[in-house]
Amino acid sequence: MPDYLETTVDKFIFRVATDRLYSPEGVWALADGDRIRVGMTDFLQQLNGDVAFAEVKPEGTAVAAGDEVAVIETIKANVEVPSPVGGTVAEVNPAMESSPEAINQDPHGEGWLVVIEASDWPTDRDALLDPQAYFDLMKSQAEEEAKKL
Amino acid sequence: MTPSERKVLVVPCSGIGKTYGTVSREAAYEVTEDLRPGTTGLVALSLLVLGDEDARAAVRAHPAVTIDGCKLACAAKMVHESGGHVAQGIAVLDVYRRNRELKPQGIAELNEGGILLAHAVAEEITAVVDDVLAGEEGSTHA
Repeated sequence: MPDYLETTVDKFIFRVATDRLYSPEGVWALADGDRIRVGMTDFLQQLNGDVAFAEVKPEGTAVAAGDEVAVIETIKANVEVPSPVGGTVAEVNPAMESSPEAINQDPHGEGWLVVIEASDWPTDRDALLDPQAYFDLMKSQAEEEAKKL
Repeated sequence: MTPSERKVLVVPCSGIGKTYGTVSREAAYEVTEDLRPGTTGLVALSLLVLGDEDARAAVRAHPAVTIDGCKLACAAKMVHESGGHVAQGIAVLDVYRRNRELKPQGIAELNEGGILLAHAVAEEITAVVDDVLAGEEGSTHA
């Protein structure tokens, strides 16, 4: 169970797990050697609402950092999820087929999307944000969103 | 509507400005105005939120089918908080997951998928209404 940074904006509570790195687009990357587990951040899933369907690139798909690795259909939008790392999709979360609401229920855990076998993790890692940097960015994004309510 | 009447109330989420909220309301209208006008009644969620005594008395006197557009399940929660009984809670998203070809879009006016999804929701409500009135109540999952 990771530790979290947490903030409340308006009536919403957002959490950022401290054991992984983040892209500015709201995608997390949790490394186990060169195998990188990827998922949507708590902020991104709350921003887009309840998930209806998740279409994830199948195993064996080659992706570059920034390429679309999944499309998440929610009650508000179709969210194109950019991969935070280049490599090959090594594993797809089977829950995305049967119960994609796991993204809403447990975005840092059971709601993961794919595991990517990274081709150059050290380089891609340098382009990602540490938890505190993402937390600060996310908080400003959340405050901007709150102004629209 | 008097307490002695055998009726099932339909309580859609308000969801103003949201596609799934519009689907829930359109489904409620279809059930109460077209499919089962004699055995159902519509209760506006806003009246329960405001504590309207007539609306609260109605949900305490009759079983309710709630329709919710999102996981907040405001309709089901407000029926419970008003002292009513949810015979069955229906989530529009669950119906959509079973009918993926019916992707709803639009707010003031639904697209064809949304209209058909509302109809699918209405059909599910109608089945519950018929079961409840026949004495075979559906399950509550609100």
